[in-house]
Amino acid sequence: MNAKRSLSGIGGNVMAWGYALIILGPMLWILSNSFKRQIDILMGTTVAPITLVNYQLIINSRQSHFLWNLWNSAVVAVIATLLVLAIATVAAFTVARLQPPRWVTFILLGWALVFHMLPTLTFVGSWYVMFTQVGLHGTYTALILAQVVQGLPMALFLMIGFVMNIPKELVQAARLDGCTYAQVFRHLIFPLSLGGMAAAGALAFISAWSDFAIALNLSNKDTMTAPVAIATFAQEHQILYGQMAASSMLSMIPALAFIMFGQRFVVRGLLAGAVK
Amino acid sequence: MAHLQLQKVGKSYGAVEVIPGIDFEINSGEFLVLVGPSGSGKSTLLKMIAGLEETTSGKIMVDGEDITHLDPSARDLAMVFQSYALYPHMTVRDNMSFALRMRGEDPAEIDRRVKEAVVMLDLGGLENRKPGQLSGGQRQRVAMGRCVVRNPKLFLFDEPLSNLDAKLRAQTRIEIRRLHERLNATSIFVTHDQVEAMTMADRIALLKDGKLQQIGSPQDLYLRPKNTFVATFIGTPEMNLVASQVEMIDGGLWLGGASGISLPVSPERQAKLAGGMASRRQVKVGIRPEHFEIVAAGTEGALEVKVNVTEWLGHEIFIFGQSALGPIGVRLPEGMAAAANDVLNIRPVADRWHVFDIASGDSLLAE
Repeated sequence: MNAKRSLSGIGGNVMAWGYALIILGPMLWILSNSFKRQIDILMGTTVAPITLVNYQLIINSRQSHFLWNLWNSAVVAVIATLLVLAIATVAAFTVARLQPPRWVTFILLGWALVFHMLPTLTFVGSWYVMFTQVGLHGTYTALILAQVVQGLPMALFLMIGFVMNIPKELVQAARLDGCTYAQVFRHLIFPLSLGGMAAAGALAFISAWSDFAIALNLSNKDTMTAPVAIATFAQEHQILYGQMAASSMLSMIPALAFIMFGQRFVVRGLLAGAVK
Repeated sequence: MAHLQLQKVGKSYGAVEVIPGIDFEINSGEFLVLVGPSGSGKSTLLKMIAGLEETTSGKIMVDGEDITHLDPSARDLAMVFQSYALYPHMTVRDNMSFALRMRGEDPAEIDRRVKEAVVMLDLGGLENRKPGQLSGGQRQRVAMGRCVVRNPKLFLFDEPLSNLDAKLRAQTRIEIRRLHERLNATSIFVTHDQVEAMTMADRIALLKDGKLQQIGSPQDLYLRPKNTFVATFIGTPEMNLVASQVEMIDGGLWLGGASGISLPVSPERQAKLAGGMASRRQVKVGIRPEHFEIVAAGTEGALEVKVNVTEWLGHEIFIFGQSALGPIGVRLPEGMAAAANDVLNIRPVADRWHVFDIASGDSLLAE
């Protein structure tokens, strides 16, 4: 019995560590590459002299605009995330608590499901044509709108679940306390769904921040985002592995920071004590 | 405080009718308890009055004004929810002042009223706590405070005591009643607990399947139940119901024929019954456990009961046993004891028994 349990414990540990290794391994490899010279990377040297030249090149070099690319990523991801959260939260409140006609809910969730299931690349072609025709190709607007469509379904599902968890009686109590539905949303639903918004926001931000397919097709030289810029290090005659690794590391930082910040919010039980 | 009138108020979900149409009035300053088993529609009716459930037919009038289709935010009614529904992200003070702030009242006035309510409900020192940091009883009082500060037209209570333990419940019962009198409020209190109904109500409205069974003072419902449902719902242990014949023999009433038991009766009651029921008709006779007297063995017209179980509650003792008329429950007088398999002889107290129609269950004693 005990031996059996310790055996399964070992099995679980091996699983967890193995999985962690699969995720962490490549990250560590990229991290070490970002501090190596190109020649060491090409030679496959494991322990090589540490150099900061890759970081200096992508930050200071005249040919690289990586900091600008990061800024583009930030603009697109932050604004898209805010829009996604605003739409998803209001929509979730509507679906979960305002009892709209059934077809409204059906269409909304059906739309979300379709856009969530189909690969982004399916839409990118038509978006390219559409945005070009209205003269928006290469603008922040085009990138942001596309990212909103991309991030909304997941956020919508998350927020509906979250708003459903806010007891119906709270809304009723607020209604009897003289609130219109708009006031209920502002004073009750909004502050009580901050936790859910942090979770949904973190996911939307990461999806927009790390997106490649949309940005590749809809951005131009001025609005190019970090992932697209990283890809440009693979050039015609050589691949700049070192700079690619360094820029990957830099682009990872905001997403990591955001996840840590968001996670703390999610865990905090904002609803404790609402109902008996 | 206000006067509330329900005129044929009904509710249906599509083809399913949950409340076919209810009429009653609540006078200004009255404490009305809506009571009934679960699924009787009492909570639904309360929510219809509050405007949280749509009313599909009839009219709800407050002080002569038709509020049937008015938005809940405009009705000026306050409600204490079963779950209390305190806003979890707000402090006690903010919870209580919320409605006033929404109404845009003067901050100084809001402050004064909240302070007053805090003192009234003994919540001093807890103003800056959040609901999560309060005990069940304290939350309940904050929920009351939220209503009190508003000075609403009507207080609605939706089973607010069901989450409290028995001792706190008894205490809070008294507190709510005291508050009601002090504020001179009009209150509707929903509960499934007949003890709460009996102890708190000026009048009780007893519902079953969305239909009003009887409305009246606790005494009315206890002493003059209109049908078998009311008779068995009010009072613990339940009233004994015996389906049998009542016969007039030698000027006295007998239950179950000559070999049965006598039903002591006053001439007035006998006259009243004579009009409504033919002799030897099948009826249901109801006698509460507390309305038997213990008599000596061999007394004419007494019923023999063989004790199965005794329930000793300190201030009273109940026995449950078998008799010629079926299972029966009896309250013993103080000081008397009985054990299983004892045989007792009992007789109903004069005029403290009820007769109901066997088919409809309606009382034959009602005028």
